[in-house]
Amino acid sequence: MLEVLLYHPNSYLFLIPGLPLLAFLVIAGFYLRPERERIAPAFLILALCGSLALSVRALLAVAHGELTAPVSFEWLWVGRARLEIGCLADGLSSIMLVVVSVVSLLVQIYSIGYMKGEIGYGRYFAYMSLFSGSMLGLVISDNLLQTYIFWELVGICSYLLIGFWYRRPSAAAAAKKAFVVTRFGDLGFMIAIILIFSQKWWTFGFQQMAGLAASGRIPTEVGTVLALLIFCGAAGKSAQFPLHIWLPDAMEGPTPVSALIHAATMVAAGVYLVARCHFLFALSPVALFVVALVGALTLFLAATMGVAENDIKRVMAYSTISQLGYMMMALGVGGYAAGVFHLTTHAFFKALLFLTAGSVIHALHTNDMWKMGGLGKRMPITSITCLIGALALAGIFPLSGFWSKDEILSAAWFSDLPGHWVFFGLALATVFLTAFYMFRLWFVTFTGEPRSEEAGRGHESPWVMAGPLVVLAALAVVAGGLKYVVPGAGVGFGELLAGGRGEEHVSHVAVVLSILAALAGIGLAWGAYRAKLVSSAAFNRRFPAVHALLKNAWYFNRGWELFATRVVIAGSAIAAWFDRHVVNGMVDGVAWLSGWASRRLRLAETGQVQFYALVLVAAVVAGLLAVFVRDTSVIELFLVRR
Amino acid sequence: MSNPAVIPIHAYLIVSTLLFAIGVLAVLTRRNAIAVLMGIELMLNAANINFVVFWRYGGADKMEGLVFAVTVIALAAAEAAIALAIILSVYRRFKTVNVDQINLMRG
Amino acid sequence: MIASLWQAVWHSFLSGSFWYPLAFVCFALGTLIPAALVALSRNIVHAALWLLPCLVSVAGLYLLLGAELLAAIQILVYCGGIVVLILFAIMLTHGVGDPDVRVHNQQLLWGVVAAMGVAGLILRLLTQEAWQVAASPPPADVTGRLADALMGPYLLAFEVVSVILLAALIGAIVIARGESPAQEPQGPFGHAQGRPAGSEGKE
Repeated sequence: MLEVLLYHPNSYLFLIPGLPLLAFLVIAGFYLRPERERIAPAFLILALCGSLALSVRALLAVAHGELTAPVSFEWLWVGRARLEIGCLADGLSSIMLVVVSVVSLLVQIYSIGYMKGEIGYGRYFAYMSLFSGSMLGLVISDNLLQTYIFWELVGICSYLLIGFWYRRPSAAAAAKKAFVVTRFGDLGFMIAIILIFSQKWWTFGFQQMAGLAASGRIPTEVGTVLALLIFCGAAGKSAQFPLHIWLPDAMEGPTPVSALIHAATMVAAGVYLVARCHFLFALSPVALFVVALVGALTLFLAATMGVAENDIKRVMAYSTISQLGYMMMALGVGGYAAGVFHLTTHAFFKALLFLTAGSVIHALHTNDMWKMGGLGKRMPITSITCLIGALALAGIFPLSGFWSKDEILSAAWFSDLPGHWVFFGLALATVFLTAFYMFRLWFVTFTGEPRSEEAGRGHESPWVMAGPLVVLAALAVVAGGLKYVVPGAGVGFGELLAGGRGEEHVSHVAVVLSILAALAGIGLAWGAYRAKLVSSAAFNRRFPAVHALLKNAWYFNRGWELFATRVVIAGSAIAAWFDRHVVNGMVDGVAWLSGWASRRLRLAETGQVQFYALVLVAAVVAGLLAVFVRDTSVIELFLVRR
Repeated sequence: MSNPAVIPIHAYLIVSTLLFAIGVLAVLTRRNAIAVLMGIELMLNAANINFVVFWRYGGADKMEGLVFAVTVIALAAAEAAIALAIILSVYRRFKTVNVDQINLMRG
Repeated sequence: MIASLWQAVWHSFLSGSFWYPLAFVCFALGTLIPAALVALSRNIVHAALWLLPCLVSVAGLYLLLGAELLAAIQILVYCGGIVVLILFAIMLTHGVGDPDVRVHNQQLLWGVVAAMGVAGLILRLLTQEAWQVAASPPPADVTGRLADALMGPYLLAFEVVSVILLAALIGAIVIARGESPAQEPQGPFGHAQGRPAGSEGKE
């Protein structure tokens, strides 16, 4: 291990996750006490700056074709399988590293202001540094097993951070729900790993497995099964339908947590995993179709749920679910670069949106949008940056969201997956819905008259919080340009990612339709909530069933609850019966058998010595009979060696 | 003294076997503990006869057979002494020497 | 086989070496018939006394086989020592008015079967064997050679036997000594006092 770390030219890659993890150890070890908490964030900020610098260096190295092989060292041998710890920097991972580092850094700077004065300030930064290290580690892993290890680590950090204010019962419940639901998906991931081990490839490394797939040594059925199981894990982490129920509740955590983990990075890990394992999905049209289908359903259903929410963070949570659905669908229909590009742009503008929401919540101490209003005058920076984010989300030219969303729509349009036009239709309809709910939020929150006295308290945030907002807004605006050129790399996003594959087609029809849909959505929102031309109350009266359905999030929570109580508990009852009666029965049976046998055998212990002597003589007679029956000479039996 | 051609070996062996069997009978069926001891003495003597017979009919030049027989007699004496001491002790405790009335180790 | 025995007897009678077979038959019967009476006598004292001719006849058999010293030891130790010891023990334990004067215990039948089985099988096995008997002249100076053996190669066995006799002596004294009168248990016959038999001798 040491030779690799000390002498390999690219061993700096290990520092990218290593620095934040080191910060975690330092903060957790020394800086949790209230009197020393104040400088805890400094370690994390420093570590993230270092990680960012190294990630940029890695990205440039990849762009110039210098980093082609993973940097790894051996950890364990299991039979013939070689388990490694290693870092792989290629197009996909180096882009993700930069994105994660940038967003993490900005969110942590923001957190210094947001979490000021909170109890557990040091604990927050400890958890955040553990998360940053784990997320970077997940991205940079060169093999599936290591990815799984970091996958679980980020899951733990998510649990710890959602339940940061653990004394609040709703927060504790939300953390538990997040963990259990993602665990459900992780089960599929783990089974996939076990299956891979059983395939006797003797490796988990991505490059090696991709090579096996490319040379045709993986049968289609195996590829399908593995891809679907890995997708289970991805669906859990990335809140795809039907495992999306944890994400809205996860908004119980502090807003920077929601921005970083549940918008930009951890939930993107599922998308990242599918992209990483694309060589498996490429083997199986079935798996690709499933991914696209699930993604399409997710994007549409989540958008419909977002329309009916009144909590600003929950609206954004459903928005995140919906956008993740876009990314998954893109990967399914064959738009590999489109999906990853949208991941990048979404990270910027969604983090921005969450941080603006945090700004509002920090000032007003409420999440309910109906208690807000007219904040645009009192919080100008927040208002404008939020508008920029909303426009990016809606996909208005020339902001970043437009470019990435259009790539996805084009990919759906040109895909050769069966039924791709249905996916396209759903995506397009969701563009309309997305614009609608986002601008509903913006209009209600930032325009009009204050609706309550909390709104009167609105004030702009300090620069430590407003600064990241501005930076992210700038990124949200210009990130679209990455499609054509990545600074320092000299090539566009697509080429960097795929290492030189051809450009994808853009459908002009799709572009026009999406702009129209977005404008229509914005228009409807303006009409309903700003100009009061259309009444939402009247709509709710006319379509009460629709209203109920949307308000209750299509009753998914109720459905899972029924499943847990009826099916799972019924299954456990059967298992419990089996355990109590069969397994325990066998154990008790052995004991009973001993008792029964001993009661029978006891009868042989008469206590009469002559009886024992008789048994002895009888045994001798029996032995003699044996010799006698064999008709052997005694001398031959005992004295002649055979 | 005894020429092997005159008395066949089987004769002696039959005697010792029958003596042994009678000893077994006494051990297994008599109620008095001392009678059981006497049966044991009969069995020991039967075995001793065998030792001496095989010594004589096996060449009589190696003395192991006789040494064994002498040792057996000595050990039989020691064993009889101890056995009778035990019987006395048991008699004192249980007030009987009938073997079948002593079964504290039952069960 | 019985035929060959009879043949040998007749041949010896005809050839003149008649006394040896006669002596053998006398000693053999003198062993077996008293032995049977030992096993079957109702009176325990009679049984002990029948042991005497039995053991003396065994000594006679030893004489016929040429082991004179052994015959002498047999009479001295067995007849003179052990039988007397048995009689002492009978005297010391007799006298209990046992209402149930059965001679044999309840497994008489099976005991007979077992004894007959042992006898029958051993007989069958021994007599179907063709023993390779060494044709040798009568042994010379048995006593001397036995003494040489006991004091020579088998000296260790000899010494060990003497130690065993010492141990038996001491052990018998300790076991048979019993407790001081004050500690003897006064419980009813056969009723468990909670103490196993033989523990009276405190060591």
